[in-house]
Amino acid sequence: MLELTGLTAGYHGGTVLHGLDLSVPAGTVHAVVGHNGAGKTTLVHTVAGLMRPSAGTVRLDGRDVTGQPAHRIARAGIGLVPQGRRVFAGLTVDEHLRLSHRPPRRGDTTRPSVWTPARVLELLPRLGERRGNRGTDLSGGEQQMLALARALLGSPRVLLLDEPTEGLAPVLVRQIDALVTTLAAEGIAVLLVSPSPARAVACARTLTVLTSGRMTLRLSGEDARADATALHAALELTATGA
Amino acid sequence: MELLDAHLIPAVDGVAFGLLLFVVAAGLSLAFGTAGVLNLSHGTLYAIGAYTGAELSDGTWGGLALGLAAGTAAACVAGAGLSAATAPLARRGHLAQALLTFGLALIGGDLLIQFFGADELPVRVPEALDSSVTLLGHRYPAYRLCFIVMAVLLAAFGTWVLTRTRMGAAVRAAADDPQMLAATGHSPRAVHTGVLAAAGALAGAAGVLGAPIIGPGPGTSENVLMLSLVVVVLGGLRSLWATFFAAVAVGEVQTLGVSVAPELAPYLLFAAMAAVLVLRSRFAEPAGAGHGSEAPGPDPVARLRGLLAGRPAGRAAEGPLSGRKRSPVWPARLPGRAAWWQAAPLLVLLVVLIALPALLDAYSISLAGSALALGLLAVSVTILTGYAGLPTLGQTAPFAVGAYATANLADAGWTVGPVQLVLSALAAAVFAAVVGPAVIRARGTTVLMITLAIGELTGAVVNQLKSVTGGADGLVGFPATRALWGGEGMLEESELYNYALVVAVVSVALTLLVLRSPAGKLLTGTRGAEARMRASGHPVGRYLLVAHICAGALAGVGGSLMVTVQQYLSPADVGFEIAAFALLAVVIGGTTSVIGALLGAGLIVATRDWVAGSWPGHGPLLLGVLFVATVYVLPRGLAGLRGGSGGGPSSDAPRPPDQPPPAPTPSPAGKVSP
Repeated sequence: MLELTGLTAGYHGGTVLHGLDLSVPAGTVHAVVGHNGAGKTTLVHTVAGLMRPSAGTVRLDGRDVTGQPAHRIARAGIGLVPQGRRVFAGLTVDEHLRLSHRPPRRGDTTRPSVWTPARVLELLPRLGERRGNRGTDLSGGEQQMLALARALLGSPRVLLLDEPTEGLAPVLVRQIDALVTTLAAEGIAVLLVSPSPARAVACARTLTVLTSGRMTLRLSGEDARADATALHAALELTATGA
Repeated sequence: MELLDAHLIPAVDGVAFGLLLFVVAAGLSLAFGTAGVLNLSHGTLYAIGAYTGAELSDGTWGGLALGLAAGTAAACVAGAGLSAATAPLARRGHLAQALLTFGLALIGGDLLIQFFGADELPVRVPEALDSSVTLLGHRYPAYRLCFIVMAVLLAAFGTWVLTRTRMGAAVRAAADDPQMLAATGHSPRAVHTGVLAAAGALAGAAGVLGAPIIGPGPGTSENVLMLSLVVVVLGGLRSLWATFFAAVAVGEVQTLGVSVAPELAPYLLFAAMAAVLVLRSRFAEPAGAGHGSEAPGPDPVARLRGLLAGRPAGRAAEGPLSGRKRSPVWPARLPGRAAWWQAAPLLVLLVVLIALPALLDAYSISLAGSALALGLLAVSVTILTGYAGLPTLGQTAPFAVGAYATANLADAGWTVGPVQLVLSALAAAVFAAVVGPAVIRARGTTVLMITLAIGELTGAVVNQLKSVTGGADGLVGFPATRALWGGEGMLEESELYNYALVVAVVSVALTLLVLRSPAGKLLTGTRGAEARMRASGHPVGRYLLVAHICAGALAGVGGSLMVTVQQYLSPADVGFEIAAFALLAVVIGGTTSVIGALLGAGLIVATRDWVAGSWPGHGPLLLGVLFVATVYVLPRGLAGLRGGSGGGPSSDAPRPPDQPPPAPTPSPAGKVSP
């Protein structure tokens, strides 16, 4: 369970994210939709500890992890699949898997599921065929799989997915959507960030529309699937408003 | 066979020497390539190991083992300390970190001499190894063979850790993307500390084991740093194997080269480095050929720029110097209030400088003259560091060329000042043009490394080339310079000072004129957004080369001036310490402020010579302290104190991504409003 309260963050030049409240219960997908510059990646980076929030809290299963360094937040159980994949250029797939594999502490039974390289390769068999290849030798889809594998090997409670389908072929996009649903079913809380409402609607239980760093709409996935006009209206409004 | 016979021993020595360099350079390369710290105190870490090893060596195995443990541990701790010292500067980029390590190297060198004395320490190898073995009919020291084995083992172990273990993977991942490493639960800070500690340990171990080969003494740090820099520059940062071969090659040049061609040996290293750098820039940057050879006429971008600038196409893609000639085409901004405010310090400075001879005694006046010469050197460093984005430690090389040119001209009877200045500037410019391609192919801290190697190699050549430079004794007794044709030789301090002042004012005024003209803007644009400059049709490489040549000429003028003012010339005047002075002057002044650089030079000369009187022999220590303090306390130098109203572009801090770069020409974004 990931809970954000009043999360405010920004860069040197000004505040980007203004007092966002959001929660992702275990085993569900929460999608954040918004246009470029709405603050989606800032949100993900702040939760992952790559940026320090200027106000607000980030709680993980009730434990306050606000402002902790990124590696501590990762160890606490937040896995990040960043925008643009950011696989390590000089490391082979195998080295990625070995480096990222971090079994939960002994006695820690609260992780929704425990991942090993073998299990990850079972889920993502394509990576198994390319174990000796370097990160940058992979195709975009394979890099995305590798980024996902890297996050899963920390056996996360929460998975942050920042535009995971960006630049992928439709068949791969459907595969990623299916994976997201599978992982949520394992009990992982998934925060999915996407510029496209279609992807969000397909797999999310809850949707949040972000406009210039503020929440402008929240609705349940069922409502959105039944009638997307409100969602589209919120996004259209954003377009004309900007 | 005879050839082999004669050169076998130096060749094997070369392998030992090369392996020693490999272990040291691997640490340097590791710290730079993966932790982003160009550790200019790496030679000091070696010296720590070497001194510790020498101190504890007593001719027994136990002594060697103890020395190895203590020396490695000491250098390891020093490396970790270095990590703690550089970590707060991480946001300020690599240059600040490199400068800090430079200061620490000066301090460390002084402290080592404090503790161990200024003489070379004798090293006693274990008695069992203190004999010679027969190698293909030659006697060869057993210790060196043993050293070869140990160094190979050390190198193999290090390579295995880096390429085969999870720890090594973390190190490589940290070099690539520290944020994502953190996102997988590893602390990048811990990796940073670990890498620097390991690099220190490598240098320390190399120091202990290598003490019988490169013994501990006052020049050790500098020598080891220079050789390992050359190795890293030759080998590149990509692969350990390349570093390995480069190290062995340098080792062979230093031993086999000396035995085969003793008179050429000093230049071999230089030649090898130049060859590799030029070759690599040919092969590594195939795109480079494209941007350098654009046709000025039919290029649509050039035509567009020509139209936008209200002048015919085809003249758009000329070099920055042509921009200076045609500067009236750009409407000159009228000097407003801000401009006067900017110029005020300049005018005050000028008045003070003119008044100086009336205020100071003869000795101080001659110091002030030297400060002006050094100031010109510092200004040339500013041009490269602050404007072209090529932080340099090698401007003492063209400085030396100018200085020795003037001294030799005077010796040959050419004593007219302007002639000396022009010819010295020309010689320095030619030198800069020759080494330029090697410098401008790199960016950022790598430039620091390459230029340092160039400067150091030039210093080595100066020491060797006795017929021109007088070797270590230097040159003295050449006729005094005459200010103009038909004049008398200048001997009075105040005369010399006034001459120096006129030359400095003219040079600085010219420099400021060029830097504030569109030519300067082109350089600033290149530094800020090189890719965008290329995309808008600018031959960036050519700009940088021209800047490098101009800066070289200016340094040459500085060198010439120094010789004229002090009327003798020794290698120390163009050595490592002067390079440090110049860079420190620039850092004190703020990297983009020409006036700041002059003030910095003055401050340094004053400090050095004041303190020299009251606390002799501690120049480097004070300089180091000044360096460290400046890096921490004055992130933007004296210019930063003026609230950012400095004459040049903002600072060397990384530009925030949302801020547009200062593009001097209409950017291609013009397509938005058709």
